[in-house]
Amino acid sequence: MRCQRARKWMTAAVDGELSPRRRRALDGHLAACAACRRELAVTERMLTALEGLPMEAAVSARLEQATLRRVRLAAADEAERAPASRWRRWLPLPAFALATAAVLVLAIGIVRRTGEVPGAPAVRPAPKVDARDAAQAQRPPRRIAKALPAEPPAKLAEAPDLFVDMPIIRNLDKMTHFEAIQTTTLDDEPATPDGQEPPSNG
Amino acid sequence: MRRGAAIAVVLLALAAPAARAQERHGRPWQELSPEEQWRAWENYQRYQQLPEERQKMLERRYQQFRAMPPQERQRLRQNWDTYRGLPPRQRQEFMDKYHRWKGRK
Repeated sequence: MRCQRARKWMTAAVDGELSPRRRRALDGHLAACAACRRELAVTERMLTALEGLPMEAAVSARLEQATLRRVRLAAADEAERAPASRWRRWLPLPAFALATAAVLVLAIGIVRRTGEVPGAPAVRPAPKVDARDAAQAQRPPRRIAKALPAEPPAKLAEAPDLFVDMPIIRNLDKMTHFEAIQTTTLDDEPATPDGQEPPSNG
Repeated sequence: MRRGAAIAVVLLALAAPAARAQERHGRPWQELSPEEQWRAWENYQRYQQLPEERQKMLERRYQQFRAMPPQERQRLRQNWDTYRGLPPRQRQEFMDKYHRWKGRK
């Protein structure tokens, strides 16, 4: 077997998806190829790490600001380049009317719900804040928040237990034969303490 | 009397597909605890990032898992908890043992 094929089969091997014949062929190759053994170890570590990866990413405030600035510049460029169509020339008028109506509806809603006029000064004086705290508060959040959707996507709604138990399902073979695997020895001695071969899963 | 029996038969007939669906797909979303919904949502996002053949592989294995008796599923969950509780070195050792065990099969 060539290294290229061995590497193609490695992910399936880590997941226990390889047929016994292919697994034997791969093991035969691994016994003779140190580079592929290292590659297999890396693949295993990577898949294990992926499994435990949190679903949120820390983004620095500086990077976020720079990205937003680029997006704004790109949008401005795009707007300049786009030719104004005939109907677009009349667009600002209804858009302005619509925006005014929306603000009025919102303001009426707030007054009716809270009894407070938006924009009116607050009764209690605002607490004094340190300049550094204020700067910190103005900075955008550094983590991308996780948000549970109001309605789960169709796939998730169809079989939620698939996703609840996904790590177990991913490691089904290992968890099914957990005890037999734990009693396996790593030297060349027989697999189980009483000298029996490990049970086959059929 | 006969009418009651007929209603019961109709209700059973209506309930049977729902029971089969639950057997196949597990609990509905609303029956999950908030923690389980979170876990499912996070894992769903991971699943979305997987290549299609790995998604199909997971679905096949899920059907195998659903076909197991409840006690067996419970045993697998306990094994998973034990595995998750292992320190990294022992986990690595377990993986090595798994490959050795798999090779001997």
